Parts: sequence; structure tokens; C-alpha cells
Amino acid sequence: MLCDNCKERPASVIFTQEGMGGSAERHLCEKCAFQTQVFHFDPSQEPLSIQQFLSHWFSGSESIQPFQQSRDSMPDGPICPDCKLTFRKFLDIGKFGCPTCYDTFRGQLPRVFSKLHNGHTTHVGKIPDSFNERFALKKKVEEIRSKMQEAIEMERFEDAAALRDEANALKERLAECGNGGDGSDVN
Amino acid sequence: MSINKFMKGAVTGWMTSHGEHSDIVMSTRIRLARNLRGFRFPIAFTADEAEKVDSQVSAALLTSDEKGYAYMKMSELPGLERQVLIEKHLVSPQLTDVKRHGAVILSEDETLSIMLNEEDHIRIQCIYPGFQLENAYDHADSVDNYLENKLPYAFDEDFGYLTSCPSNTGTGMRASVMMHLPALTITKQIERIIPAIARLGMIVRGSYGEGSEAPGNIYQVSNQTTLGKPEKEILSDLKNVALRLIAHERRSRELLLSKSRVALENKLFRSLGIISYARLLPSGEAARCLSDVRLGIDLGIIEDVDMSILNELMIFMQPGFLQQYAEADLTAEERDIFRADLFRERLRSEQQTNENNKEN
Ligand SMILES: [Zn+2]
Ligand SMILES: [Zn+2]
Repeated sequence: MLCDNCKERPASVIFTQEGMGGSAERHLCEKCAFQTQVFHFDPSQEPLSIQQFLSHWFSGSESIQPFQQSRDSMPDGPICPDCKLTFRKFLDIGKFGCPTCYDTFRGQLPRVFSKLHNGHTTHVGKIPDSFNERFALKKKVEEIRSKMQEAIEMERFEDAAALRDEANALKERLAECGNGGDGSDVN
Repeated sequence: MSINKFMKGAVTGWMTSHGEHSDIVMSTRIRLARNLRGFRFPIAFTADEAEKVDSQVSAALLTSDEKGYAYMKMSELPGLERQVLIEKHLVSPQLTDVKRHGAVILSEDETLSIMLNEEDHIRIQCIYPGFQLENAYDHADSVDNYLENKLPYAFDEDFGYLTSCPSNTGTGMRASVMMHLPALTITKQIERIIPAIARLGMIVRGSYGEGSEAPGNIYQVSNQTTLGKPEKEILSDLKNVALRLIAHERRSRELLLSKSRVALENKLFRSLGIISYARLLPSGEAARCLSDVRLGIDLGIIEDVDMSILNELMIFMQPGFLQQYAEADLTAEERDIFRADLFRERLRSEQQTNENNKEN
């Protein structure tokens, strides 16, 4: 079946849209579903793996705060500043819209991942080299800063000044080695 | 088109039958999903973002020391060529949606394909013949290292590689082995094995077609989870499961042979007869017969037919390839005719090679 909206891509998500004359079913492709503003997902339809899985999120016995209510009264949850995806819509579609979504939904994600990945919620595999280096530099800067504080408290101002120079040099290197890693500078 | 010319242009690296356990494992595939920081994922990005992702990744790859990379933009490729790329497993059907700005970069031998703007910005895929999880991973990993040095990946300390689908988050890795398991299927043991494997965090499904049916008795076993286990552990878990399946399949083959040799020989030779002489060959029957013939070769019952026949013909009997072979658009019924032609020709060319070899 083709998407009701673009009539080009195959429909993969079924939504029940509440209108004046009752509710109507809409079959949409992922991309159009993402762009649709108002809809309610009907989890009794379409046996789609992740969507369905996530849509049962709320009915599961272990579903606790803060979204325990029925789906209709369920709030949209946090909204991603970069792609405008709400947490609720994320559960409906089963896809993130951008890397910033992970920051936006960080608090909710461990539960999502735990269900999808056999109880696991954190990555333990490969780390990009550039990220490793950045991570090490950040740690170093923090270390120097705390030493600097110590030096100031002990009134060893010359040591403190030297430490400050060292920290600044590292921060410059940090800025050079790839612009990011902490996700706050996506745009 | 002549069969030899067609095969020469169509056979791709992983269809040959090299590698360990290549009598049961047809191919090994590693896929790494990666995204760039600063761009929304394909599900939400604009055409402009798509363009930028495409040009950054392809610029990085096409200027590498690796020679022989070919770049293809899906929207510029004729429909039939896109279909053939799908049938060769070099791109996913989703990538070829021309509205989605997809592109692919292929290595010369086609063991490496890098999909751009599929569900994720970058999907690095390596397919090797036979059972070669480490080799395929090392290849994909080296391409990943190269790209990571050139481009800012979306990576998070807690969640690892950030992907559009939460089922890929973490390593972004899907490792799979494609296995021919006729004896486990004939004896119906596979029905019992599939749920057991699922409990180990692996999925088994038919490698061609949809759902649980497995045309040609070809199954794909892959890891289901990507979070909480390092790549090496995912690979070794998958390897262990696959090795157990291989051992199981071998035992079942021996059992079949010792319990009902004549019945088995009868079934396998009949299938060889069908693909050697049929004039109409629907795809389901073709897949079933190919599986039988391949089993016959593995058991030493059928001689003088190369074992790569299953790998090759499972691919070539699909609509895109058949139309390329016929050099024409084909209806479903015409495809059955051309499929029968292709199979007969393939077996005849095999015979000729064998006769030539004997003369020399
Ligand atoms: Zn659509
Ligand atoms: Zn987002």
C-alpha cells in the first residue's frame, strides 16, 4: 500500500486521525509520518516491529512514571530543538530525527534501550579515536582546573597562573581537534 | 545475451564459493551504521542537508588512496540497474527510492558498498563469500576508521554511535551469515531451533523473500542487539551460534543419507532434471530445485556441477537480472520462460567447461 500523503513511498505507519466526523485511518510512509503534525497512533493495527513494540510501551506492566496514563491523555514529552520531534512521536514512529534527539530524550532513553537491547542501556564497544582524544583532553583540563583552585586557596598565585596558562593551551587544542563530541554544539 | 558474457558482468565477489565452511555458509555480511554530527537524519533532513552529507562523505572516500571506488547516485541510475543492485544485495530497496537522495559507493570487487543517505547518513557494508566474520569486520572497521578521521561522527559517551533507529544505537553493527540449511529444514528441526536462537539475542530469518519462509532453504542469522556488548563479543557470539548450526546441519545431512539414501538421491536428481530441462520455471520451484542440487553437490551425489551454482542462480533468477539477461522488459510468465532458459544455459556451459577440462 502506498502512503496516503505522498502516494510515492510504501506506507509503513498507520495513524488514526481524530476529526469532526469521527476518526479516520491514515496510512503513511515514515517520512510523511515524521512531518505530520497531529495524529494518534493506533497500536492495534500493523504488526510493525519497533513501532509496535514502542507503542506498547505504555501498556506494559512495568511502565511507570511519568507516562502511565492512557495514550490519549499522554503528554508529548520533551521536544527536540533541532528536528522538532517529541518523545511521544518518537514512540509512534520508532525513529530518531537527528543526533540531538538523544540529548533531548536522554532521561527516557535507558528504558527504551533496555527493552530493545536485552536490558542493556550503555555502549561498551568501539569509540572513535577523535572522541577518545577529546575525552582525555577534557579530563586533563578538569584536573588542571581543580589543581588551580587548590593553588589559589593556598595563595600560591604563581602556580595558579602557570596552571591557568596550561589549561588555556589545552582548551585551544580541544577546540582544534574536531568541533564537538559533547553534542551541545550541533548547530 | 550469451550466458558467459552475462555471468562475467554479473558475478560479484561474494557469490563465489570460497572461505571456510563454504558448503554451508554462503556469505558473511557486516554493516556499520554511522551518522554525521550537525545534520538531521534522512527521515527528517532537507534536500540541502542530503546534498551536503553526500558530498562530504563521497569527497572523503573518492580522494582516498583506495583506487577503483565507483559512485552512483540513485536518482541518476536507470530503474533496472537499481533493481540489479538490490538483487546483488549491494544496496537496500529503501536506498533506491529516488526521492530520498540515496547514493552508493562500491569497491571494484563489490565486497564493499557504502550507502549514503539510507536510513542513516552512512552505512558501510562488507560482504564476503563463505564464513569470514573477522575478515569482513576488519574491512568494514578500516573504512570506518578512515571516515571517522575525516568527518565528525555523531557519537555519544553513553549511547555510542547515534543512529536513526534505536535498534541500531551503540555499535551500529549488524553482522549476519547467510546459511544453506536444507537438512535442518527437511527434518523440520529448524522450527525448533529458530526460537531457541532468538533467546540468545540472534535472529534467524529467510534470506530471500519475506517473513519466515526461506526460499532455497537459505537463512540469515544475525545479531539482534547493538548495545551493551563490544563488537568482538557480538561477533564471537554470532560465530558460536553459526558453528553450532553448521555442526547440526552436517549431522542431519549424514542422518538423512544413512536412513534414506535412495529417496534422497531420487529427490536431488529429479531436481537436477527439472532445472536442466524445464521450459517454464517459476521462482519458488527454481529455488527449491537449486537447494536440492546444491545439497547433492555437497554430499558428492551430484558431480560435475560447480557449488557456486546456488549462490549465483538464486541471484540471477530475480526479475531485474532476468530482464538484463533477456535485454527486454518481461512479464511474470515471460520471466518463467527466461528463468528456465538461463538455468539450462548455465548448466550447459558448465558441461562444456567440464568436457574441455577432460580433453586437456
Ligand atoms: Zn509519504
Ligand atoms: Zn532531533
